[in-house]
Amino acid sequence: MTTVTPPSSPASRSAAPRRRRMPRDLPRFLILCVLALLFLAPVYWMISTSLKTEADAIATPVQWIPRNITFDNYREVLTSPDGNILRWTWNSLFVAAAFTVGHVLLCALTAYPLARMQFPGRNAWFWFILSSLMIPGIVTLIPTYIMMLNFDWINSYNALIWPGISGVFGVFLLRQFFMGIPRELEEAARLDGASSLQILWRIILPLSVPSLVTLAVFAFMGSWNNFLWPLFTVTDVDKMTLPVGITTFSQRYVTEYGKLMASTTLAAVPALIAYLLAQRFLESGLSTTGLKE
Amino acid sequence: MTVTQAPPTTSTARAPAPRPRVSLEPYLYLLPHAVLFFLFTVYPIGYGLYISLHRWDLLSGTQPFVGGEFYRNIFTPGTPQADFFWKTLWNTTFFTIVSVPLLVAAALGLALLLHRPIVGRTFFRAVFFMPGILTVSVMGILWRWMFDNQIGLVNAARDALFSAPPIPWLSTEGLAWVPIVVGTIWWTLGFNMTLYLAALGNVPLSLYEAASLDGATPWQSFRFITVPMLAPVTLFVIVTTALASFQLFGQSLVITNGGPSRSTQSVIQYITEEGFTNAQYSSAAAMGFVFGLFMLIFTAAQFRMMARDVKEG
Repeated sequence: MTTVTPPSSPASRSAAPRRRRMPRDLPRFLILCVLALLFLAPVYWMISTSLKTEADAIATPVQWIPRNITFDNYREVLTSPDGNILRWTWNSLFVAAAFTVGHVLLCALTAYPLARMQFPGRNAWFWFILSSLMIPGIVTLIPTYIMMLNFDWINSYNALIWPGISGVFGVFLLRQFFMGIPRELEEAARLDGASSLQILWRIILPLSVPSLVTLAVFAFMGSWNNFLWPLFTVTDVDKMTLPVGITTFSQRYVTEYGKLMASTTLAAVPALIAYLLAQRFLESGLSTTGLKE
Repeated sequence: MTVTQAPPTTSTARAPAPRPRVSLEPYLYLLPHAVLFFLFTVYPIGYGLYISLHRWDLLSGTQPFVGGEFYRNIFTPGTPQADFFWKTLWNTTFFTIVSVPLLVAAALGLALLLHRPIVGRTFFRAVFFMPGILTVSVMGILWRWMFDNQIGLVNAARDALFSAPPIPWLSTEGLAWVPIVVGTIWWTLGFNMTLYLAALGNVPLSLYEAASLDGATPWQSFRFITVPMLAPVTLFVIVTTALASFQLFGQSLVITNGGPSRSTQSVIQYITEEGFTNAQYSSAAAMGFVFGLFMLIFTAAQFRMMARDVKEG
């Protein structure tokens, strides 16, 4: 994909001061090249199949490079009467954005008193909500589904947004970060007459942007990639999220590989764009989150 | 809503009283999260227990109490619930036993290959990490196509390289696990690799310098410095990977749809089938609790191991 071409620049940068070590590093480099080829092969095969005519897609011997490049698969998938990829993408975007905003807000409001205020029951409440991390999600699957039925929330965005929004890991993450902010800043603001809400808004949150962004990225990805819950709570084609919608294509186009691969390629595009934009946060967030040494 | 208006009133009320007293303020901050936490986390646990002890029939509108009937079904050999629940629980366990060592060892291997500077390091990191951002359905459809019985890329490559006949991966019991495991490794390896890379960056170089002054071989450095220094991360990676593997659902649903003859069906897929397809909500809720308890014991054991390791380390 698009990431394949640009990396020559960072590569040459890191190589320059160590050129004399190259021969010893050569085997390692070659192994990495082979592994990278293996990792990229499925993606290459997905895109190349999506550009083939149906006859070429299943031709033997296989066409490693598409002979007659066509965009018909993309056109047909995008205009299919069986479902609308753009609509599903929008649904996923809306649900993930709403979930992320709500989740980060709820976690920040909860983490703030737990980190910066003294009050009876503080530790008890913290450990109580934290202990819910031990409860596997499968335990609440059926009852939450019945609740959605009772609320008449099946086939609505509500079912996709509300149930997981008061997550607890985010509270833990933000609390740890808030506790590290120096007391002096807060006390100075208090002397100036700032209310606690102003302190949260003007001091704590601006200083916590990295951890807020990390939490937001993970919340967004979690919602965007959620599969099991939307699969059962949304059956109305127009309300589906992208991951679920794409599987309905895969059931319909079970032998039309060109269209199938065109639809998966299209479904992968938003994630790839997001990855390119958020790469820094994603990898650094992942390597610091939950790993306190 | 309550949050935005609440704090100002309490802060003005607090101003004239400097002596410490219980303020409502912190509780108002906790309230919105707490309400949703009770509604969607605490309440469903009790409600699920209630459902599992009654016969939930959406059509008849009455839910008679049946006690432990649905739990007994799970533990009574011969009932379809018992047969399929334990079969799919074993499937899931099998997947975990096979995939976790591969995912941990391969991630460590990749991280070691990428740890020291090398040409194209950023590119390689991106290539190995990228599959993880795809949703499970895209990943599943892609790997089903890769292992297609007739014209998948794997069979095509076998044909092109060794003139070997195609293997019906997806419809052969046992072999159907191959696309699921390979696809999962491709999909999740980058996450573990990133954790290992971060940990490798934290190992003090002076340890290696001291070891090489003492004449240690690279293998000895790896065995007596790298491995012990990475132990906390390794434990973390094993625990998170195992927990994720027990949640197996999307990969086998999309790649094999649990087949052939339920040989790759995960326990979560079976529970959702019992609940949503067969509309046996009470039975599915009971299975959710039994599997949940299984996971809880497993998690508790892992936490104990982690706690012990942290104490020793």
